[in-house]
Amino acid sequence: MGLKDYLYDIWEAVATTAKGMRITARYGVDPRETITLQYPEERWEPSERFRGFLYNDIKTCTSCTMCVRVCPVDCISLESVRGADKKMVLASYDIDIGRCMYCGLCVEVCPPKSLKHTSGYEKASVDRGELILHFIHEDAGEIKARVAKQVAEAAAKAEAEKAKAESEKPEAEMAKDGDPDSRAAQKDAPPPAGGNPEGGGAAEKKPGEEKE
Amino acid sequence: MMESLAISLVNAVPVLSGVPLWTITLLIMVMVAAVVLTFALTYSGLATYVERKVAGDIQARVGPNRVGPVGILQFLADGIKLLLKEDIIPAKADRFLFVLAPYLVFVGSFAAFVVVPFGVGLIASDLNIGIYYVMAITSLVVVGVMLAGWSSNNKWALLGGMRAAAQIVSYEIPVGMALLPAVLIAGSLSLQDIVRSQGGLFGIFGWNLFHNPFTFLSFFLYYVAALAETNRTPFDIPEAESELVSGYHVEYSGIRFAFFFLAEYGDMFVVSALATACFLGGWHVPFLDAEALPALWGNLFSLGVFLGKTLSLVVLMMWIRWTLPRLRVDQLMRVAWKYLVPLTFFNLLGVSLWLLLFHGKGIPQMIASLFG
Ligand code: SF4
Ligand code: SF4
Repeated sequence: MGLKDYLYDIWEAVATTAKGMRITARYGVDPRETITLQYPEERWEPSERFRGFLYNDIKTCTSCTMCVRVCPVDCISLESVRGADKKMVLASYDIDIGRCMYCGLCVEVCPPKSLKHTSGYEKASVDRGELILHFIHEDAGEIKARVAKQVAEAAAKAEAEKAKAESEKPEAEMAKDGDPDSRAAQKDAPPPAGGNPEGGGAAEKKPGEEKE
Repeated sequence: MMESLAISLVNAVPVLSGVPLWTITLLIMVMVAAVVLTFALTYSGLATYVERKVAGDIQARVGPNRVGPVGILQFLADGIKLLLKEDIIPAKADRFLFVLAPYLVFVGSFAAFVVVPFGVGLIASDLNIGIYYVMAITSLVVVGVMLAGWSSNNKWALLGGMRAAAQIVSYEIPVGMALLPAVLIAGSLSLQDIVRSQGGLFGIFGWNLFHNPFTFLSFFLYYVAALAETNRTPFDIPEAESELVSGYHVEYSGIRFAFFFLAEYGDMFVVSALATACFLGGWHVPFLDAEALPALWGNLFSLGVFLGKTLSLVVLMMWIRWTLPRLRVDQLMRVAWKYLVPLTFFNLLGVSLWLLLFHGKGIPQMIASLFG
């Protein structure tokens, strides 16, 4: 190594050090460079398409079970019964958020768009059970019983109305049909109000839930 | 100095005349030592806080800000944490050496505070071999570091200890050589004398830094070599957390680790204080002679000036640390033996010739004499 290289080495060391120190000094003095967010007090606004915890608006949910079927990790489970007005009534709707991988498939698939991602992402618990989000806080059994009662009432009402109608103009009907067999057949058919007389028989249950 | 203090104390307070003089002298010594140690520990604690703040700023972070206002009490929290931690001694370690090592390192670095000239009259002991004393006592650090590495019975610790030994021994030569110009100019090894030699009416130009081109260079050479002696980045080969985990103190925990930690910051201060005293005029400032002020104010003023200069150099060390990456072992040795050692020798020769040719006059002095 010649003298020239030797001196050049020294010069290079000094120059590069000075350059680096100028950069760090700029970062050190300029408060605008600080990007740390003091988390619990300040936080980033999550983006619009952020997939946070799921939220189901049970008023618009039609209990179609699409979300249950599509979820790759089986974290959604729901139970529903057919109500007096022939619509499905949700008895329970749970999402195990601890198992969810936020793929968003259930949100994509939901026909009335009642299932949504929220921007929530903060949750801690000491028990896995606490990670299951319940969207219906009433007891499933109570709802089923209530719906069954409504259905039974509706059925009884319909029955009474039919009986009334029959007693009012039996002759006319007899004259029309003339066949007593048709009346017997009508009596065996399911009540016109629909639904299950037993109540809750139409519960949709996920196989995953049974495993648990 | 202590004895004269003791005599004046006895004269001032007649009740003490019955007490033997040596007891009073001893008491005063212990008190002075306690004051210096308290200062050193407080400084070290605050320096860790400042270092973390500087690191945070440079890395676009915030740094500690939770404990106390702007996090200033963080060092107390850390200290308490270290005190409460379990003190682990590895089963296969050499217990005696393992326990001894932190104290050697700590003593080696903090004993040097004794001769630091904080102010006009603020020096624990104005030894007439001040610089030699510092060089000698700080060598205890390398013994402690090596013992720590050896006694831990851990290959990383051992590697770290060996590297530390090689590094500190190598860099002690340029450190000594770079300090000698100041000694030559002052004609004394006492740090207080060296500081006094840089006074005068030239203000900032009385400082050794501007005495002649060689001393100017000498300051920077000293600073680089001293930085290496404190084992800090970019010369932190002995610790090298990314390759040696943490080097020689990898097995230490709790209060013993705290000793190593404090010693590092103590070292930084001593090294910066020496640079201040030898090149930056110590407690001298332009146009104001602290020695001419009344004793109390002169002392306070000079203390402030000295601490200001020294602590700026300490902050500069932190700035360097958070800027530069670590050198490789061979690069480290190359810097020492191929660059620093020859250059400091060259400088020493240059300063000696200068003093011989110009009868000890510096450039500012010569310019001043030109104008009468
Ligand atoms: S986001 Fe994906 S994993 Fe989570 S519940 Fe919906 S389908 Fe299942
Ligand atoms: S897909 Fe939507 S509407 Fe259907 S059950 Fe799930 S949440 Fe309800």
